[in-house]
Amino acid sequence: MIWTIGGGKGGSGKSFITANMGICLSRLGIRVVLIDADLGGANLHTFLGISPPALSLSDFIKKRVSHLHEVLIPTAIPNLQLLSGAQDLLNAADAKSVQKRKLVRSIQSLESDTILVDLGAGNSTSVLDFFLMSDGGILVVTPEPTSIENTYRFLKSAFYRRLKQSVSSSSVKALIDEALDQKNEMGIRTPHDLVKAAMRMDEGDAQRIIEEAGTFHPNLILNQVRSKKDIEIGFSIRSACLKYFGIHLHYLGYVVYDQDVSNSIRRRRPLVLENSRSRAAQCVTEIASKLADSH
Amino acid sequence: MVMKSIKDQTYYEILEVSPTATSKEIQRAYEHAKETFHADSMAVYSLFSEKEVKEIQEAIEAAYGVLMDEASRRSYDQTHSQTAGGQPPEKPSETQVAPRERKTSLSFTGLSFNAEVEHYRGRELKQVREKMGIELQTVSKETKISLKILESLEEEEFEKLPALVYLKGFLKSYAQSLGLDPQKVTEDYLQLMGEAKKK
Repeated sequence: MIWTIGGGKGGSGKSFITANMGICLSRLGIRVVLIDADLGGANLHTFLGISPPALSLSDFIKKRVSHLHEVLIPTAIPNLQLLSGAQDLLNAADAKSVQKRKLVRSIQSLESDTILVDLGAGNSTSVLDFFLMSDGGILVVTPEPTSIENTYRFLKSAFYRRLKQSVSSSSVKALIDEALDQKNEMGIRTPHDLVKAAMRMDEGDAQRIIEEAGTFHPNLILNQVRSKKDIEIGFSIRSACLKYFGIHLHYLGYVVYDQDVSNSIRRRRPLVLENSRSRAAQCVTEIASKLADSH
Repeated sequence: MVMKSIKDQTYYEILEVSPTATSKEIQRAYEHAKETFHADSMAVYSLFSEKEVKEIQEAIEAAYGVLMDEASRRSYDQTHSQTAGGQPPEKPSETQVAPRERKTSLSFTGLSFNAEVEHYRGRELKQVREKMGIELQTVSKETKISLKILESLEEEEFEKLPALVYLKGFLKSYAQSLGLDPQKVTEDYLQLMGEAKKK
């Protein structure tokens, strides 16, 4: 099972959640590999309390090693391994889609029960493709307008990219590209408008767009919530996505704002190990157990 | 199929409830929808224009007005039997989720939705209860609160209400029986009571 953690702004807590969820899952006896694919600042190792790894994915890409599992870094936590080297991963993936698919296949063939990929911020095509290629994409959002806005932008880019991959006619593909521009000349505002426009070009493709919307179920984690009202924002985001995109977002859970989080990061000790009884650690543990149930 | 314009959605889809939803579920869904699509909602401003939000707000009110009225709802179901009455909903309700979602769904126990603009005083509680078609006797039976106390709660006869420690418990139970947020109801009611006593 591959989960990708992306969307939102930088600083929304994706790496913190990835690292701590990985630990929680590994403690349940699940073999976990964490992959650091944060282009802007790969530092998942720091969240795990280990030094910058000597081995990274670049050793695999540059064929210094022949198998991906050779660059896996063991951690002090049983069942948990780390794969570092995000920049190489994404740069290479940008270069050729064949290479990208090969990378995904190599990742999929790793001997592991669960793989968590920390995608970091940004809407580059590689980030979107990794998000879409996983078994489950997870968006980490904080209850702030900027974070929510960026998440919608990411979601729209990912959703439209998925739609584009599903249709066959070049004119509908071009239409989807145009629709991504909010000020497009065709007046397409929503995916519903897109379907209507596609219907005039290719009925089969329009139907495929509708079907894709029915099977696209990204997940949402709301981080740094401070009140019950904040928690409810997750439900509001879910409703807004249903009304706007026509997609069912799954609200996976929330993590409360907790000073213990920054304390643990400063100490370079994962929160679920350092202070497993803290409120934030309990929230992460609960979400991880839901992921474990999906195995 | 959920990829529909707001105009094409059924009232059930607008409120994200099943066609078999109880009045309690509709009330809760309505409050959530109002909270989500209020003018300053950070969950919608970057997706919808002001005009679109207004259109959705109107649709929410229309859906609520019809679905909370037994006769109107029956008539609506008859005229929309293809999507509303006889057949299962094409989506919205929380019970219709993908298999994995069902397995991984978190229970947000104790969480319900507040309509920010509303303050739950006796009058509002009575209105909500009546819209749901729930008799006060039923609430009394369910909550084990005497009918007289419930009447005094709704009529805001503060002098007839029990001591604060009991009152808080009664308000909580009453709110829960209507599917409302117990904390908000208690806070709102006690605030009103405090203000009345000052006068």
